[in-house]
Amino acid sequence: MNGLTRLLGLGMMAAASSVFAGDTPAPPDAHLYIGWPNDGEAIDSCQFRVWFGLRHMGVAPAEIDKPNTGHHHLLIDVDLPPMDQPIPNDRNHLHFGGGQTEAIVEVSPGTHTLQLIMGDKDHIPHNPPVVSEKKTITVRC
Amino acid sequence: MLRLYLLMVCITGICAGGAAAQNTPAPPDAQAYIIWPGDGQVIEGGRLWVRMGLKNMGVAPSGVSTPNTGHHHLLINVDPPPPGEPIPNDRNHVHFGAGETEARLTDLPPGEYTLQMLLGDADHYPHNPPIASEKIRITVPPY
Repeated sequence: MNGLTRLLGLGMMAAASSVFAGDTPAPPDAHLYIGWPNDGEAIDSCQFRVWFGLRHMGVAPAEIDKPNTGHHHLLIDVDLPPMDQPIPNDRNHLHFGGGQTEAIVEVSPGTHTLQLIMGDKDHIPHNPPVVSEKKTITVRC
Repeated sequence: MLRLYLLMVCITGICAGGAAAQNTPAPPDAQAYIIWPGDGQVIEGGRLWVRMGLKNMGVAPSGVSTPNTGHHHLLINVDPPPPGEPIPNDRNHVHFGAGETEARLTDLPPGEYTLQMLLGDADHYPHNPPIASEKIRITVPPY
């Protein structure tokens, strides 16, 4: 019974990921994280550098079709976009299609959230999606 | 006039790069740096992730010639190769041709090590100008 429940769970997860993710596979152990700033960081500048951390996967510019690669997107003050469509390109969804692995961002004073998500050559999240934890920072300037 | 210009270029040292088989330009403000570990860091157990940082330039897998990109190489206990030569591929020159931005080093025997990053172009040649990090030292104590 326990095994059956687990099997059902796995089946549902598989079904969910196939519906709500793009077609480009990502390594199952790919790990995306924001190297800096830390969660809860208070920053005395409205302009600061964000480090993009990625393990068990590589970076490639947009439009480059290489297995186990993608390019970084930084989400600012916004929740995750749909996982089966191109990531929007606006002030809340910054694209790093040149293969950049860090960025200087500028925000208004106050509390902000930061989160990273990898996109494939067409800016669509991978399967499974490669997403960092969301961090909350406070900025004064 | 053109000859004078070329002479000036050679005097400034770019001539050597120009004679190479590759001469992939890099942004003049590009900078490679080792985010972690820090210079002088003591690494217990001989296992670490080296986090490779790159400013004002992008990462691309080897074989990809998108402008203003390259891929990381980690030089361990060795100086950069001479200008114009491809980066060797051996235990002292670790290639990250899949676009990796972090390097997992394991089983480093106790001792002193130097680490330095050097960016390579699509064909593993350093750029013009070469994009290299400062060289740092780490120590692995007996374990």
